[in-house]
Amino acid sequence: MSQAETAGKSGRARRRATVRNRVSWLAEGTMLALGLVVIYPLAHLFLSSLKEPDKVFDPFYIPDFTFWGNYEEVFRAGNFLISFGNTVFLTTASIGLVAILSSMAGHAISRAGKGLLLWIYFLLLSGMIIPAQTTMIPIFKLAVAFGLIDTRFFMILMYTAGVIPFATFIYAGFVKSIPRELEEAAAIDGCGRWRTYWTIVFPLLMPATGTIIVTNIFGMWSDLLGPLLYLYSPEKQTLMTLIFSFKQERTTDWGPVFALSVIATIPLILLFLFVQKQFIRGLTSGALKG
Amino acid sequence: MKRLDRGIFVHRLLFVLPAFALFAIFTYYPFFFGLYYSFTQWDGMAPPVFVGMKNYVDLFQDTAIIEASKNTLYFVLLNIFIGNPLALGLALALNRRFRTRGLLRTLFYIPSIMSLMVVAVIWSDLLRYDGLLNGFLTSVGYESWVRDWLFAKESALPMIMLIVIWQGSGFGAVIYLAGLQGISKEVYEAAEIDGASGLRKLLRITVPLLMPIVTINVFVGLVGSLKMFDLPFTLTNGGPGNATATIGLLIYKLGFVIKTLGYANAAGIMFMIVIAIITFIQVRITRSKEVEL
Repeated sequence: MSQAETAGKSGRARRRATVRNRVSWLAEGTMLALGLVVIYPLAHLFLSSLKEPDKVFDPFYIPDFTFWGNYEEVFRAGNFLISFGNTVFLTTASIGLVAILSSMAGHAISRAGKGLLLWIYFLLLSGMIIPAQTTMIPIFKLAVAFGLIDTRFFMILMYTAGVIPFATFIYAGFVKSIPRELEEAAAIDGCGRWRTYWTIVFPLLMPATGTIIVTNIFGMWSDLLGPLLYLYSPEKQTLMTLIFSFKQERTTDWGPVFALSVIATIPLILLFLFVQKQFIRGLTSGALKG
Repeated sequence: MKRLDRGIFVHRLLFVLPAFALFAIFTYYPFFFGLYYSFTQWDGMAPPVFVGMKNYVDLFQDTAIIEASKNTLYFVLLNIFIGNPLALGLALALNRRFRTRGLLRTLFYIPSIMSLMVVAVIWSDLLRYDGLLNGFLTSVGYESWVRDWLFAKESALPMIMLIVIWQGSGFGAVIYLAGLQGISKEVYEAAEIDGASGLRKLLRITVPLLMPIVTINVFVGLVGSLKMFDLPFTLTNGGPGNATATIGLLIYKLGFVIKTLGYANAAGIMFMIVIAIITFIQVRITRSKEVEL
C-alpha cells in the first residue's frame, strides 16, 4: 500500500468520524431538548408557585422570584406542619415495621426451604394478586369494628401488610447469600437464636433493607386513597390529602396549592438524587429476578 | 436431635407468623368477607340481605360498569402498544454513549417518582381552558383546537393516557436499560461481521433477547392500568359522565359514595378474577416469545 493511499484512507476515516461525531451531537441535543420538555411540567409547577394571586392563572407570566406569599399561606394554614409530620411518620414507621417483620419471615422461610413454611410463603405471594379495590370496603369495616378507624396505627399496619409479600420475597432471596456457619458459630458460643438474629444476621441484610426502603418509600409518601378513606380528622391528614382538600377548597386561588405541591415533591426528588444508584439497582434486581 | 429440630421449627414458625398474620388480616380476611357480602344486598347499616348471584348478573347489564370496562381496556391497550414501545425507544436512545447520559436519565425518570396527586395538580393547570396548552395553540393559530381538554368528552380519556405515558415512560426505560446492558457486545459484533443492518439487529437480536424484560414491563403496565384510580379520581372524578371512569374508580364510588356495598364487593371480586385471567394470559404469551442464548 502506497503512502498516498494510506493518507487518503485515514482522511476518509477522519471525515467519517467527524460526520458520526456531528450526528451524535445532534442526537444528544435532541434528547436533551426532549428531556427538557418532559421535565417542563415540574418547572411549571415551581414557577406557578411563585406567582402573585392575580397572575396565578396566567400561563405565560414568568414570576420574578420575589413573591413567596403562597408559601407563607401554606405555613399559615394550620395543618401543614402536622400533615408533613404525619406523612413522614407513617412512611418511616411502616417501612421500619416492614423491615422487622419481613426480614424475620424471609430468614425463616429461606432457612427452612420446605414444608409448612414454604406453603405459608406461597400463600403470601399469591395474595398479591388480590387488588386493593377488592379489599377496601371490608378493610374499612374491619377498622370500624376494631375501633381503629381514623388512627395512624391502623394506616401503618395496612401499609406494612401491603408491602410484606414483596419484602419477604427480597429478604428470602438475600438470606441465601449469608453463610449458615455464622449463625451456627454464634449458637456454639452460646448466643440465643433471637439475639443471633438481631445482632448478626439482621445487620448483614442491610442491602436488602435498602432495596425495600428505596422501592417503597415513594409509594407510601404519595398514597392518596388510604388516608382519604381511613383517616379523616384534620389533624391526621397527610400531605396528599391536604393537597386534595386545598385543591377542593381554593378553586380561585391555586397559588398555595402549587406551593404545597412543590413542598411535597422536594423530599422525593432529594431522596431520589441521593439514592439514585441503589434505587435503580433495587428496581432492576427486583424486576429481573422476579 | 429430634428435640432440637422441633425447637428450630417452632422458632422459625414464630418468625414467620407476625408477618403472615398481618398480611392475612389485611388481605385474606377482607377477601373472604367481601366474597360473602358480594352475594348480599347491603348498605353498610342495615343487616345484609342474601340475594344469591343477583349482583354478579347485574354487573353485566350495568352501563356504567360496561363504560368503565371499556375505558380500562383502552388504558391497557394503549399502555401495551404505545407506552411500552416508547419506553423501549427511550431506553435505546439513552443507551448510547452520551456525555450527559446521567442527566438525561434523571430528566426522563423524575416524573415517575412524583406523587400522582401532584401530577394531577400540574396537569389540571396546564390543560385548563385558559391554561398553557390552549394559550400555545391560540398563539400558533390553532384556535379551532382549543377546548376544555379534561372535561370535553372526546379529549378527556386521551389526555389522561398522555399523562400516564409522560409519567411512566422513564420507569419502563430504566428497566429496559438494565436489560440492554445485559446483552453482550459480542452478539452484535458477530451480527455486524455477517453484515446485519441496524434495524435487523434491533428486531433479530435486541428485541428477542429483551423478551424477559418485555414480560416484566408489560406486566407492570398491565396491572398499573387495570388498577388505575388516582389520576381519573383527582383529574376528572370519572367525568364527564362516565367518560374517564375506570373500574377501580367505579368500585370506590359504588362502595363509598353510593354505598351499595354488596354490589361494590361483587364488582371487586369480579375485578380480581379479570385481573388474574388477563395477567395470566399475558405472562403466557410474552414468556413463550422469550429466547435463551
